[in-house]
Amino acid sequence: MDQIQHPEPPEKGVSTTVPAPLRAIQERVYACIQCGTCTGSCPNAFAMDYTPRAMWRLVLMGEKETLFNSRTFLLCSACYYCTLRCPRGLPLTETMEELKQIAARENHPVHKKSVLFYRNFLESVRRHGRVREMEFMTLYFLSLKNPFTPLQFTPLGLRLMGKGKVGIQVPSKGQRRLEALFRKAEELEEQE
Amino acid sequence: MNRKNGKALVVGAGISGIRAALDLAEFGYGVTLIDRASHAGGLLSQLDYQFPNNHCGMCKMLPLIERDTASQYCLRKGFFHENIQMLLSTELLSVDGEPGHFQVSLKQKQNWVDPDLCMGCGLCTEVCPVEVPDAFNAGLSKRKAIYLPIPHAIPNPYVIDFAACTLCGECEKVCPTHAIRLSEQERKKFRILVVDDELVVRDSLKELLEEEGFFVNMAESGTQALEILSGSETPYHLMLADIKMPGMDGVELLQKTKERFQDTTVIMMTAYATVETAVEAMKIGALDYLIKPFEPDTLIPMILRVYEDFETAGALQAEFGAIVLTGGTAYYDPGTGKNTLGYGVYPNVMTSIEFERLFSGSGPSQGRLIRFDGKPIRKVAWLQCIGSRDIQLEADFCSNICCMYAVKEALIAKEKAADDLEASILYMDMRTFGKSFQRYRDEAEQVHGVRFIRGRAHSITQDRSSGDLLIRYGDSGGKIHEMVQDAVILSVGQRPAAGSRVLADMLNLPLNPWGFFESLPFSPTRTVRDGVFIGGSFSGLKDISESVIHASAAALSASRIIHASGGGLAIQAPPDSETLDVSREAPRLLLALCTCDGAIFDESGKRALRAHFESDPAVDRVEFLEQVCTAQGWSAFSERVKKHRPNRVLIGACLPYVYNAKLNALSREIGLSRALMDVADIRSPLFCAADASREEVDAAVKRALGMGIAKLKETDPTPLPSTPVRQRALVVGGGIAGMTAALAVADHGYPVDLVEQEAALGGNLHWIRKTIEGNETQSLLEETVARVEKHPNIQVYAGHHVAGAWGEVGQFFTSIEAGDGAVTTIEHGVTILATGGIEAKTKSYGHGTSEAVVTQKELEEKLTEGRIEPAALQSVVMIQCVDSREEPRNYCSRVCCASALKHALFLKEKNPSIKITILYRDLMAYGFLESYYTRARAADILFVQYDVKNKPSVVQEEGGLLVKVHEPILDAPVEIEADLVVLATGIVPTLPEPLAEAFGAHLDPDGFFREAESKWRPVDALKEGVFACGIAHSPRSITESIATAEAAAQRSLRILNQQALPASKVTAVVRHSLCILCERCIDACPYGARDFDLDHTQIRVNPLMCQGCGSCVTACLNGASVLEGFEKQQMLDVIDAALL
Repeated sequence: MDQIQHPEPPEKGVSTTVPAPLRAIQERVYACIQCGTCTGSCPNAFAMDYTPRAMWRLVLMGEKETLFNSRTFLLCSACYYCTLRCPRGLPLTETMEELKQIAARENHPVHKKSVLFYRNFLESVRRHGRVREMEFMTLYFLSLKNPFTPLQFTPLGLRLMGKGKVGIQVPSKGQRRLEALFRKAEELEEQE
Repeated sequence: MNRKNGKALVVGAGISGIRAALDLAEFGYGVTLIDRASHAGGLLSQLDYQFPNNHCGMCKMLPLIERDTASQYCLRKGFFHENIQMLLSTELLSVDGEPGHFQVSLKQKQNWVDPDLCMGCGLCTEVCPVEVPDAFNAGLSKRKAIYLPIPHAIPNPYVIDFAACTLCGECEKVCPTHAIRLSEQERKKFRILVVDDELVVRDSLKELLEEEGFFVNMAESGTQALEILSGSETPYHLMLADIKMPGMDGVELLQKTKERFQDTTVIMMTAYATVETAVEAMKIGALDYLIKPFEPDTLIPMILRVYEDFETAGALQAEFGAIVLTGGTAYYDPGTGKNTLGYGVYPNVMTSIEFERLFSGSGPSQGRLIRFDGKPIRKVAWLQCIGSRDIQLEADFCSNICCMYAVKEALIAKEKAADDLEASILYMDMRTFGKSFQRYRDEAEQVHGVRFIRGRAHSITQDRSSGDLLIRYGDSGGKIHEMVQDAVILSVGQRPAAGSRVLADMLNLPLNPWGFFESLPFSPTRTVRDGVFIGGSFSGLKDISESVIHASAAALSASRIIHASGGGLAIQAPPDSETLDVSREAPRLLLALCTCDGAIFDESGKRALRAHFESDPAVDRVEFLEQVCTAQGWSAFSERVKKHRPNRVLIGACLPYVYNAKLNALSREIGLSRALMDVADIRSPLFCAADASREEVDAAVKRALGMGIAKLKETDPTPLPSTPVRQRALVVGGGIAGMTAALAVADHGYPVDLVEQEAALGGNLHWIRKTIEGNETQSLLEETVARVEKHPNIQVYAGHHVAGAWGEVGQFFTSIEAGDGAVTTIEHGVTILATGGIEAKTKSYGHGTSEAVVTQKELEEKLTEGRIEPAALQSVVMIQCVDSREEPRNYCSRVCCASALKHALFLKEKNPSIKITILYRDLMAYGFLESYYTRARAADILFVQYDVKNKPSVVQEEGGLLVKVHEPILDAPVEIEADLVVLATGIVPTLPEPLAEAFGAHLDPDGFFREAESKWRPVDALKEGVFACGIAHSPRSITESIATAEAAAQRSLRILNQQALPASKVTAVVRHSLCILCERCIDACPYGARDFDLDHTQIRVNPLMCQGCGSCVTACLNGASVLEGFEKQQMLDVIDAALL
């Protein structure tokens, strides 16, 4: 396998001030001994700019900037291999999830697309209790506010339609049966 | 042999137990050495090779002085010593009483094979129909239900595996000596009463138990059961009682039975619904319960346990002055964890122990590296930290030895495969923290090409068709690698020995959080219970050298208690009755032949033998005796000896080693040198040739006896010289090690001179405040100094240094010089070097040019004095391995990682906002220190690993320091601003070479004391009578230094305990008239026993140091070097007799 290219080596080493949300993340992985079991286990490591071990290293070093410029945690597919195999018993998958949350909250430009993707996905679920692919796509493309993006996906979309995987659907308000659930979740998030 | 009053109990006969027992026995105490296994030697009996020389060498632990009191063959086969009683298959039941007077009861498991009768012919295994996995070969091969636990042990009686034996009785039929008493008659004596209202249950139980050979009776109700119990003359041993019965129920029956027949064991039988009642029943005396319907697999073992207890009913009671626990450790079973790494599923994934067996000559493939499918093993990977350093497995510790055994196994595998083997070790930190470990590892990598890969594999997959194994791991830089291996070895870590908890509860001793025995602060061996000590790996896994040191230290502590309670008094005044000088007499040999109840000779055979041997003028008499091995036989024999007063004695019997102690006693009694007495084995020839004719057997017996006679006839009868001993010790160095050693010797009543060059005692303890565990060192220092200064047997020479010394074991003369030039000469019998060491000086990383760059020691001092204020610090960087672990100081100083962790945790505690970064190469948080490493990480201390080829740099800038280091995981340079940089420079010894050489000791390449044998004689110099401890020996912590000091003291005591030490019967001498002074023998002697005597211009042999190996004889060109007992003419005569 090829050496994974790092975007930019961190400019400055250990920063002395660490913002609060990252602090909580650090505390979860302090006991890490950098053995690399997580990297070796991760099925998506090949696609990551920083391998999981390197990412935990960035977390421990307080490299917020580099960390949130990386897409590593977004590529976590929550297979739980690393959590299962970590000799220190660290909650790695959960912590990846939290990193996603922080990235979403902070509206980091690098992760804008991913965040919009998640949001629109959930919006569709909120409306119908399940995802409606075409509606979800439409919402997603609209939110990107870039008329050329849908064109990039046209060949794929056509192939999927040909196989009957996606059908034409008009976005609708839906029955919103899950509304209460979503609201409650939002309330809880706000309380935090 | 000097014998003393006291007795000690040593529990566990592994390497530590053997060391502790030998130490105590050599000092003169009686020792009972027990082990629950049916063999001695523990784990080491399975291991053939040990680093650093990849050989064994365990025999070097045997007594070097007064060798004749002990066996002198391979120690892995077993051993005996006059003062040691070895009880195998024995467990410790209870301990009562006070230190010095413990009342102990022991339980010895009965064996169905009588060890005194078993000759080891092996006919029984040929007929045994049962095959089970052989634990000796770690399950890699099969054995029978009757088997030899260790194939090479001496004595080596067969034992029967209770669990596997089907009681078919075939072995009993073929045993020629009737040693096996498996017969059903034995089990028939065990009487069982089955009480149940259901006929089906009663009948099936009766059938099942009768099949097992027991006597079974039945009752259908409680009333009937009581009638049977009271009506029977012989008691019932076991009652199986149902709970729910009409009329009297099971619980009532139990109550009534317990009232009237206390000796009857009761087991309840219950349906699932009444389990709670059964549990209640256990409170009023039931042993256990069985849930119906029960399987024979659960029923039979339970019954067998009760039966075993019945067999071993009589526990042994004895009084001991002290108890040493050397129970060893167990190993992690990878099959039990969450992640088994394919162990138990893929046949080519094995544990390190299994691999040791695989390459052993006595292993399943006779030492060839082949897999089960016959494929040669040519690519092997070791995975480290299996079951260690794993919080998920609740194993927040390092197992200490796995790194080194993996390197050793890799090297031996390479050697076995004639270098055509690829060995890789996947590790997290290579913990080469012991003496000489780092060089061994480097040589493995650089010279032998072992691949060291920093990485941790998470799983192993098997190629189904080839059986090869695929490992996937990520390297430091995040690159993923896959490697295909023929075999993968799991370097399994330690677990507490089975039964630790039960033993701890019984003795009321605390265990640490991981279940290992805990010792007191600053003592590796003392426990909260005075008089009970722990040695070896019982308190956590140790390599052989450390185990041996800790065992000797435990022996010392035990010895102290025994001595204090009056056990040090000799029960027999040495020396013994004058040895007769028979050198001017012609040989008059008494040949005593054991007839073994007529099994060896018939009448005509006796006549023929008598006629044959009496024709030899050297043979005075030939006597036939019945069973010399029994007490009666022996007294008949000794009567003949006393009556006829022969000057040579030869016994013809079986198992020669049985007679050693008895002959020694007889030798002392009648004054005939032990060298003139021997035993010839005349029984083995009978068994070796089962189908031989009577004539052939007679001839073989004749040859065996003829050889024995030839050897004795020519033995030089000159009495053995003895060496006078000045019973006084010199300790050089008054640090904690020197003081501990001095106190240990002085507490045994021998005077000690303690020489310290500084004005005050204490050494390094003056600047250390606390250990990482939080123990105060200053109170230790004050207490120890006070004890030393007040001790009537210790003379302290502070402000003195050793000016010169000469002499040998038993008699050294040392001149010590005071500051003002005044010289005092001290006479002493032994020397203990405790000259210590200091923190190494450095100029690296700008040390000396900036106040902000300090060493770990300077940090500790400045923190103590308040010159560094933690509150004022923002960022601290610690750099480990400064000038260490690379040439020329290529060794690990062992304590620096712990100091760094200690100081980092201290700073964090005082000021949590300090950013602390530790730059390390391999973090040596060995043993239970690992938990502090975890703690340090949890306290937000950042650890950055660096490579020796790419060291960090420190730049002094305005307003602070800038540390630059390459961060391997990000594979990027990192800069850290720091206001303090702390360097771990390691330890250098302060043992001047001239000082060591004055006593005849030598230094290793790093200036530390060179041991005679790093594993087996870890505190001895090659030259007898000189010992080292503390940092002079090797870098170590305070507690570890104390252990070496106690070990060195214990080793000295075995010399100090007598006014004169006799030479052993096999000792080399020089015929000066033939000697041309070529000095080849001096180089050849592996014990350093020879030197050139300048005063007399001749080669001199120290009879105490000579071990009778014969190397000098083979090296000598002129036949001037002669080994007593193996002289040329003697050996030629023996060969002649053998060829008769």
